[in-house]
Amino acid sequence: MKESRLMLVQYATAVAAVALVSVHLIMQGVIYPYATAISFNNILSIYSNGFYAIFLEALLVVVLVHGFNGVRIILSEFRQTKPWTSWVDAATVLAIIITVAYGTRTVILAVFVGAPA
Amino acid sequence: MTDVKLIVQRFDPFNDIKPRIMEYAVPKWEGMTVLDALLYARDYLDHSIALRFSCRQASCGSCGMKINGRPRLACYTQVAELGGEKVVTQPMDNFAIVKDLVTDLESFFEKHREVMPYLIRADAREMEKPSAEYVMKPEELEKVLQFTYCIKCGLCTSSCPTVATDSKFLGPQALAQAYRYIADPRDEGGEKRLELLDEAHGVWRCHFAGSCSFVCPKGVDPALGIQLLKRHVMSGNAPHRDGEGAKVWTAPVTTAPQK
Repeated sequence: MKESRLMLVQYATAVAAVALVSVHLIMQGVIYPYATAISFNNILSIYSNGFYAIFLEALLVVVLVHGFNGVRIILSEFRQTKPWTSWVDAATVLAIIITVAYGTRTVILAVFVGAPA
Repeated sequence: MTDVKLIVQRFDPFNDIKPRIMEYAVPKWEGMTVLDALLYARDYLDHSIALRFSCRQASCGSCGMKINGRPRLACYTQVAELGGEKVVTQPMDNFAIVKDLVTDLESFFEKHREVMPYLIRADAREMEKPSAEYVMKPEELEKVLQFTYCIKCGLCTSSCPTVATDSKFLGPQALAQAYRYIADPRDEGGEKRLELLDEAHGVWRCHFAGSCSFVCPKGVDPALGIQLLKRHVMSGNAPHRDGEGAKVWTAPVTTAPQK
């Protein structure tokens, strides 16, 4: 992919992350009482809301893509050899896939499986 | 006449393991530049000081060095403007040292050549032998004029934090020159250049620190040029790609009216 496309993704995810994180903080700090916002049962009840589960999945993807792409940019300036750049690119894609898959697994478990018996 | 304490960082790659500091007491006179002080020290105190200079009027860009911690032209910096009685001179950062204050600018000029710093026309024959004079409107000239003032002294590249870590990064000078030609309505090679700039060590590695614009002795704003360049790279369109701007011609050169 061209560098300009990757930077477009970087800028787009930055803007999206600002919006999503803002809504997330408002939900956690204002709508739900902050003291209980990250309690286990409260989180399960949040995931039971389909819209919010999709919202959290979107937040997960946006933040991880932005973060790992940012690390890729820093690392690509660290060394300039072709193997290093290829390795960094591959590691970035792999890291995004693994972390998004793991996070998605958590969302799916919370939505469809719920609290353990 | 008082003396100024001139401190010169010396380094001879063939004999020294690390740079050493030498101090010289140089008589100060009104209007004295740092280059004057260095030349005095070289002529009367230590013939072995190596420095590069030529025009002595901020036109050639040869005497770039770090003066009191900031990249400047030695001929364009007066001792009085530095305040105090101490002038510290060091070679520019981000370049290999040839000797003392002389740095190797080869990679710098190589990057400059890489962006094709000349007008490119789609019609090669027309490029070789123009049939008429190429004309720019004043407002078009305004867009590129400041970038034509670049004297290739290397101060911007020396101050750039990205160049310090990424040796393949084209650097502010080459990128500003790329913009200068891409934004020129007489040029039709914009897409070629955009292709070159849109890669891992191209225009996107500029993080807009702005130090290049801060140190430029000619008032060029490379950081601005780079940001404008990013817009063109992102859209994939060079301005005037249809050569529309270049359709403005005067009468053929041979029949130009005489005053």
